[in-house]
Amino acid sequence: MTTTNDTDRGIDPRSPRFGAAITSVLLAVTIVLTLIPGTWLAGIVLLAVIVVLFAVGGIAGIRRHPYGALFRRVVRPRLAPPAELEAPEPPTFAQQVGLFVTAVALLLALLGVPYAAPIGAAVALVAAFLNAVFDVCIGCLLYVWLVRAGVFRPRRGVA
Amino acid sequence: MTVIVAVAVLVGVLALATLLGLLLRAKTGRARTTTAPGDAGTVADLAPPTAFGTRATLVQFSTPTCARCPATARHLNSVAARHDGVTRLEIDLAEHPGLAGRFNVLQTPTVLLVDASRTVRTRFGGPPRPPELAAALATVLTAGTAGTTGTADTTGTQESR
Repeated sequence: MTTTNDTDRGIDPRSPRFGAAITSVLLAVTIVLTLIPGTWLAGIVLLAVIVVLFAVGGIAGIRRHPYGALFRRVVRPRLAPPAELEAPEPPTFAQQVGLFVTAVALLLALLGVPYAAPIGAAVALVAAFLNAVFDVCIGCLLYVWLVRAGVFRPRRGVA
Repeated sequence: MTVIVAVAVLVGVLALATLLGLLLRAKTGRARTTTAPGDAGTVADLAPPTAFGTRATLVQFSTPTCARCPATARHLNSVAARHDGVTRLEIDLAEHPGLAGRFNVLQTPTVLLVDASRTVRTRFGGPPRPPELAAALATVLTAGTAGTTGTADTTGTQESR
């Protein structure tokens, strides 16, 4: 899924949470803007930006995400070294989930479905908020639900 | 929709997420004694007999997208290393999707504490809380030594401790 070739595959587990916090704020603003008729278009533009950011993290991989770069440059120097590094696959999966939810919401909103944008943003906000504030691992929950729903065929684990 | 209403909706969404988060935090990693008999009660068919511990086995269900699973694996390995006849067995649900439904797995890691007869005794949804895992394992190990059937009653467990 992700093409990683360097030796240091691990990421600082605080980096995705930092990113989720920024995403939460952007999604919160999106909800408010798309609920008010006068600012609907601004909200849609913001939602499109969020979709692009999720696409970067979900397709290029979490370690190419701009929030990750921001974390490394601004936040990490102020923190103690991480206790341990984590695999990039779980947060990358979370980005893909975010991409799916927000992209569908954006598409439906552009097709004229009422409240598609705020509802989609709210679903994504709950996930991002749980990730940022409660350190809930989306990949630990949703992946199993999708397996049980039969979405995934049996396959080898990500090596 | 007015600004006030829009902000109120946002507050409602955040309140819901907070409630959900508190609920998840309260429940994750707790020991739950299993009593369900039948298919979900045994794990003997999941791996060859040699993969199981002679006294107890910690069966860990994992997925490739599970951030907590490697740390849980280390925790369980260290617990297993401290007890003779206890091993850890990891199963990737991406390779065995049918098991998620059979064992009603809702999150990873999910850990099943299995006794010598490969019957599920306790389950943990999320990374097991160390004291609760230690207590559950002690119960299974003492029951295994005290009783002959492996299902010794709790009084027997208390006496042997």
